[in-house]
Amino acid sequence: MRKTYIFSSLLLFAVILSVVSGQGCKNKSTENTRQSAKEDFQFKEKLSEYGFFKDKLNTLNPRDGVLGYELSTPLFTDYAVKKRFIVLPKGKVIKYNATGVLDFPDSTMIIKNFAYINTAHQQILIETRLLVRDPKDKSWKVMNYLWNKEQTEAVRHITGGKVPITLLDNDNQKLFTNYQVPNTNDCKRCHIKDDILIPIGPKARNLNFTVSGEKENQLLAWARKGILTGLPAICTVVKLPNWADSKHYSLTQRARAYLDVNCAHCHTKGGDAYNTGLFLEYEQTNPDHLGMKKTPVSAGGGAGGLDYDVIPGNAAHSILFYRLNSTEPGTAMPELARTVIHKEGVKLIRQWINSLAKKP
Amino acid sequence: MKHLFRLTFLLSLVVATLQFSCTGPKTPKDEYKITLTFKPGEEAKIAEAFLSIKDSTLILLKEGVYQFDNLSIAQVNYIRIQGEGHDKTILDFKQQSQGGEGIRVTNVKHFTIDGMTIKDSKGDLLKINKSRDIVITNLHAVWSKADSTSGGYAIYPVLCKNILIENCYTEGSSDAGIYVGQTDSAIVRMCKAAKNVAGCEIENTSHAQVYDNEFYNNTAGFLVFDLPDLSKRGGHVKAYNNYIHDNNFRNFAKAGSFGTTWGVGNASPGSGIIILAASDIEIYNNRILNNNSSAITIASGFAVDAKAGEKINANYFPIAKNIYIHNNRITMGAAFPKPAYEHRIGQTLIAIEQQLNKLDPARKNKRIPFIMYDGISSNILTKRAALNPDSICISQMGDNVFVNADFLNLTNVQNWHPNTNIAPFSCNQVGKSH
Repeated sequence: MRKTYIFSSLLLFAVILSVVSGQGCKNKSTENTRQSAKEDFQFKEKLSEYGFFKDKLNTLNPRDGVLGYELSTPLFTDYAVKKRFIVLPKGKVIKYNATGVLDFPDSTMIIKNFAYINTAHQQILIETRLLVRDPKDKSWKVMNYLWNKEQTEAVRHITGGKVPITLLDNDNQKLFTNYQVPNTNDCKRCHIKDDILIPIGPKARNLNFTVSGEKENQLLAWARKGILTGLPAICTVVKLPNWADSKHYSLTQRARAYLDVNCAHCHTKGGDAYNTGLFLEYEQTNPDHLGMKKTPVSAGGGAGGLDYDVIPGNAAHSILFYRLNSTEPGTAMPELARTVIHKEGVKLIRQWINSLAKKP
Repeated sequence: MKHLFRLTFLLSLVVATLQFSCTGPKTPKDEYKITLTFKPGEEAKIAEAFLSIKDSTLILLKEGVYQFDNLSIAQVNYIRIQGEGHDKTILDFKQQSQGGEGIRVTNVKHFTIDGMTIKDSKGDLLKINKSRDIVITNLHAVWSKADSTSGGYAIYPVLCKNILIENCYTEGSSDAGIYVGQTDSAIVRMCKAAKNVAGCEIENTSHAQVYDNEFYNNTAGFLVFDLPDLSKRGGHVKAYNNYIHDNNFRNFAKAGSFGTTWGVGNASPGSGIIILAASDIEIYNNRILNNNSSAITIASGFAVDAKAGEKINANYFPIAKNIYIHNNRITMGAAFPKPAYEHRIGQTLIAIEQQLNKLDPARKNKRIPFIMYDGISSNILTKRAALNPDSICISQMGDNVFVNADFLNLTNVQNWHPNTNIAPFSCNQVGKSH
């Protein structure tokens, strides 16, 4: 009898425990739902759903609040024509930052559209890339949208891919290539620095110019519109040279700007090519890090059997030039987003290396 | 009694139910929340699964041959890529059309790859960048052809922490089969590497242990290098119980047949172990057999770069120091391998043998000694004439063990005196206990 009593009590206790912890479970699950409610920012399935553009989608005609911008020296992507926009959340502003990327508020969206010029001289959109600053954890997130043949819609696409195209380059020469749409990890490769994903293009120095056809410096215009705060006197803001403007900038300035924009997102301390010791930022002054008579670290066959990254005065035997002038995977640099040779860029780098003083 | 049993049973049932209802079955630490299983033909799905992978996922690749362009995993934790064995699950990357490697892993904590073969990428096969707590096991990473069209590195962790590479096999790399770069804490064990330029290379990597491996039929078996201008310094590397033999393969790195001035292009065919500009290295209890140009080479950064001295900083010191070599079994064949005659450093090694025998006819045309030290010590920085300022300590049985090759006078044959006197470098002199 006593035993039965003990066990009944135990049973009762267990049941109570079960109810209490059932309650615990319930609490937990509501908490989970609540958490998932403010889960990561969710990218929409179709580009049109964001309502960035009015009229036909492929005209990329921005609605109010969708702000176009250009870069002084842009990244080369197979002669793609790029249209860039920023969307700020209502009432929020960008804070000026002298070095690095501007300080964008949470929920900022950066939109970059890639088109090629076809043989009929039409712009054909291939992909649209989005960078969004998630308000939940203030981290930037990437997504890609692939345009359909009809040019009526672009659909969310994470796996990247190859799009066969025949494009016209800057000399109206026909080039056939398999354009590489990056997958979401490819995006991260260039955009991650010190383990954090960040935008690359919109730095003050690369925005600090007057877009052709406009009357006002881009940064000043933003400040006037009240969407950029903290901009100091414009003459004190560093300018990244326009790589193609030989009237205003020296060969070295243009070459270094080109290397900065096309290489230094990886070739920097904390970047994807940190391990190489080759750092190509515009501010870099250490000749070793700039590759001057520097032996490669892990280029393997990608170095083409050459000895040094840069031999001053000798582009033909410089690995930097060799790799820019290649389209072979494992050799070509940048590793991503380029499947044809950028003739004009290669020419600039050749001239620059050949102009460097030979040292004994 | 029956009653009591029934009650106890009921009780435990209730408790069990309540436990499971809340947390589910308790999983051991090394199990994963999500398991995804794929078979050949599902490559597109697999590529997508890699891209959208969540924390704590196991991807199981069933037996068969898979064709990929490339795969990548970034910024997640607790990931396991599991095959059904190196002879069953085969990942072929010959379609690679962009990027630097077949598989790329970036910013991942707790990554394991186990039980498959990966092959024939254009760039490297498996690159693991800026990650930690990595296990690479039962992985074969091979190129079908061992020539300069092969990618550089088969297994390539770089800027990582805590790496275990075990039971792996690499073949055909035009640089190093197993290459651990700029990493802290690495173990390479029970691996094999053949027909690579370098079997295994530990570069700017600290606290590495390399043991129970077999490196054979490469250009060079095992390398420990420190290079300038990098994120960290190497050192504290131990290599023991390895079988390093018959590394006499031609150097097929691009332009390697003659030798570039950098990296493995420098490695002469016929090299067993090469220590370059590295410090705190212990090489012991290995069998180093039939590497016919140099069983062990100890060289400074000056041997390959006249400006090495300008690159000294916290992460780089060009002089090899605190090198402890003992109790290895070493033999060499009767002659240099043919490809050494075409290689820049190979030609130097041949010249050393000739010069030694010319200066000392009593040697009766013996082979080059097992251990070749370039003789460039920190005396050139301190302007002193200490006999062994960098604690090179050798304890090896037999004669013809050691040569100080006097590299500083290499180009001036009149003054060039390679010297086989081991006394200043013998461990008794150095005062190392063993």
